[in-house]
Amino acid sequence: MMYNNEHFEPVITKFVNEPGCETIDFYLAKENGYKALEKALKMKPAEVVEEVKKSNLRGRGGAGFPTGMKWSFMPANPVDANGNPKPKYLVCNADEGEPGTFKDRLIFTKTPHKMIEGMIIGGHAIGSNKGFIYIRGEWFKESRLMQKAIDDAYAKGFLGKNILGSGFDFDLVVYMGAGAYICGEETALLNSLEGKRGEPRLKPPFPAQVGAYGMPSCVNNVETFAAVPYILHQGWEKYAKMGTERSGGTRLIGVSGHVNKPAVYELPMNLTINEIIEIAGGVKGGKLKGVIPGGASAPMLTAAECDVKTDYDSLAKAGTMAGSGGLIVMNDTVNIVEATYTLLKFYEHESCGQCSQCREGSHWLARMFHRILNGGGNQEDLDYIAKICGNMAGQTICAFADAVTGPALSSVRKFRSEFEELILKGGLKGIGKEESISHRAVGAHV
Amino acid sequence: MSNITEFDIKKPKVDLNYASDKKPVHSDPNPEAKPLPKVTIDGKTYDFKPGDTIMQVAERYKVHEEIPRYCYHPGMPIAGTCRMCTVEVEKAPKLMTSCSTPAADGMVVHTRSDKVMKSRTGVMEFLLTNHPLDCPVCDKAGECELQDYNYEYGPGTSNFKEEKRVFEHATTKKLSDKVTLNMNRCVHCERCVRFTDDVTKTNDLVMVNRGWHKELEATTEAGLTNEYQGCLTDFCPVGALTWNDFRFKKRSWFLNRKPSLCDGCSKGCNIEVHSDSEIVYRYVPIYNELVNGHWMCDAGRSSYTSYTNPLRVIAPLMKHNDALHSTSIQTLLTDLQVHLKNAASIQLVVGTDATREEAALLKEKVPTIIGKNIAVSYFNGTNGVQTSADDKKLDELLKMKDLTPNTKGVEEQGLSPLANGEVNADIAILFRNGRAGIPKMKADQKVVLWGIWSQDELKSFPSKNILGVIAGLATIEKEGSYKNADGIVQKFHPAITHKGGALSAHQVVGVWKTLN
Repeated sequence: MMYNNEHFEPVITKFVNEPGCETIDFYLAKENGYKALEKALKMKPAEVVEEVKKSNLRGRGGAGFPTGMKWSFMPANPVDANGNPKPKYLVCNADEGEPGTFKDRLIFTKTPHKMIEGMIIGGHAIGSNKGFIYIRGEWFKESRLMQKAIDDAYAKGFLGKNILGSGFDFDLVVYMGAGAYICGEETALLNSLEGKRGEPRLKPPFPAQVGAYGMPSCVNNVETFAAVPYILHQGWEKYAKMGTERSGGTRLIGVSGHVNKPAVYELPMNLTINEIIEIAGGVKGGKLKGVIPGGASAPMLTAAECDVKTDYDSLAKAGTMAGSGGLIVMNDTVNIVEATYTLLKFYEHESCGQCSQCREGSHWLARMFHRILNGGGNQEDLDYIAKICGNMAGQTICAFADAVTGPALSSVRKFRSEFEELILKGGLKGIGKEESISHRAVGAHV
Repeated sequence: MSNITEFDIKKPKVDLNYASDKKPVHSDPNPEAKPLPKVTIDGKTYDFKPGDTIMQVAERYKVHEEIPRYCYHPGMPIAGTCRMCTVEVEKAPKLMTSCSTPAADGMVVHTRSDKVMKSRTGVMEFLLTNHPLDCPVCDKAGECELQDYNYEYGPGTSNFKEEKRVFEHATTKKLSDKVTLNMNRCVHCERCVRFTDDVTKTNDLVMVNRGWHKELEATTEAGLTNEYQGCLTDFCPVGALTWNDFRFKKRSWFLNRKPSLCDGCSKGCNIEVHSDSEIVYRYVPIYNELVNGHWMCDAGRSSYTSYTNPLRVIAPLMKHNDALHSTSIQTLLTDLQVHLKNAASIQLVVGTDATREEAALLKEKVPTIIGKNIAVSYFNGTNGVQTSADDKKLDELLKMKDLTPNTKGVEEQGLSPLANGEVNADIAILFRNGRAGIPKMKADQKVVLWGIWSQDELKSFPSKNILGVIAGLATIEKEGSYKNADGIVQKFHPAITHKGGALSAHQVVGVWKTLN
């Protein structure tokens, strides 16, 4: 079969090009819709968790934590201080804000029922009767589509009381965020869900002990949930076989940038980055210069390093990460300093500002890159960028500071000559490009 | 609390987790039953109670001077955001915040390893990038944690060549009549926000915006409204929040710092009196777990002004030709003795702001010296409070209804409250220290005023009725003890030396005795 993988078949995107694929009727008629739920409800919760564990499904949000293991961390019968039972919550993280990542939106607009079914199965598996779908503030259309899909599922009896006569109740609530990248971090998401400032929480306690509204909660990505019905319906072996030894199934890769066919592709994980670029129609308008393999936070790879497989472990070995599956391709017309500055502006704007290093460091880095672009840089700055990144990475509550240092540090390390050229020639003007826009105009409120 | 009888007020001993809501999830229900677990910090092994954080253990055993911190405050929930208190824990991949990480049995911690010091230097450099470094004109200079920690951990130099962040509209912003904000100096520790959220529960303050332009603002247009705003300026680690009353009055390094008690209500908050050349500039609270925790109210903090009031009588006054003239204590007492010996009936009213020692002394000695049977009673004078039974808490924190410091201590002397708050004698000796009320008098009753009186208060008596005024010492000027509303007896010593002609009750009684 295609992609050098005899076991591969699309798990999520099989029907996304057909008209009406987002409706419940299409899902029931063509995609064996809610059959997996029927099967799961006849199983014991622990068996469902075991099935997901064996499938090697890993979280598709960025960190790649094994989903089955995350579900098994949920306490069986949590009680409060007075001995009364506490509710458990299942939360879907649909705060897809990573630059270069747009896979979850495809699921929301084309096959929302797959995710809903996955959530109901997840609710059954962890013993939760309530699920929240946290949607990023900018997704007006997507949240309406999701609400419509949920209403349809209620009408058909897949949500609500006594689902399919099993005695299991499950409710789903759509919650819109207010527009913050950091709310994609699970504890910041929980704070935002509670109506607080979207700032990551100090861990421990982890969400499995103290989550949404102080109750045990489990947060999973949209794509993770969307893969669950397939695992239950087709069996874990089939799903696990598609992937690598330590990570089962397929991945949605959003290819963007200088390729001829930018889109979301569902691919097996044994492909190299070069092969994926080939599938996406090849590099457009020049030669390949470098890629960002897993959304903006992943360290860059040069063209020479693109012969690496895209599973979690191979990318980690290459010094970068699979992240959220956004592959940004850059050809040789791109100025890396300018491209990195664009990302740093984003991070400067999106740091929640709790931890000293991240708040001040993201700001400092962005301004430093801006100065270099405008001809004010010197050689010492390049060493200092590494020093700033060293003081930021791994020192904060969440991984945001590490995300900032990903592009900043890798760009200086791998494309140092471009920085030096800018410094020697006096910025973008010196190499015949337009001067970068004023720093003050960049989303700053002061 | 009842078994605690007496203790001296001390400098703060930091015992943590005072109001923290982030206790570890699984705390040991019965820690005493087993041998205590042990943690190794900087090469030495210490016992700890399950649930203690690394910082608590280090603090208790004084492992080093201090683990530096900005966001952490023992009276508030743990935030763990400033990242200044990180320590190296063996086998942990990253540095851990000592304020939030519970100590575990067998854990090996290094609080000053190279990795830790490098991280702290990094944090200091980041915090200083956008700090204006306007120490010469900053009121916090000298008692600023940013200065102190920079001296110890800071990088010394910085490569920051960018423009600094400036909050133009919040460089001198009044958050209320009492507190001024300079946002440029803020290091975003958010102690202030957590204080209004979790301690006063008034939710006065909030951070708006995000990241580097995150800014502190009052939640309502009224600004700060809570009664404990002064505390914000105490624990603000930098000069972002400053106390208007103290702002630009004195450099902090000129201040003498002596412990004393606030006598503004029956709580008896422990304070530090900050003075220079015996002039008081401010009160700040000091930690006492049993009494006031870390805090004190704004009314108490501002009460130092009553002792520096220019109208306070600070010399003995004697009546001569229906007017009061300053004189020596001997002359005054000789004159008073004549009046008192001739009086048909005398009543001694002790205000509940007298110290325990003063109350005992007056009750015992004054009748003997005058040589007559004298009715002795006490008077509180706070609206609605006659005895300590009428006292109650006004809020969840510290404020009490009884505005005198020693009602319980005076009651202890076996005195009875002044019936109906009225004096029933020809001559009344009113002893009070400016906090207790003034009893009702009849038009022709003569009075001898003793203690702390202001000229305004003298005017409440017909001038022909005042036989004399014996000027006394204030709480911060004298020695003694108060018994607070919870029955805790607290001793105090002079924090400043009185420079006027006022005398302590013991000195007055001593002189009086020699005149007989």
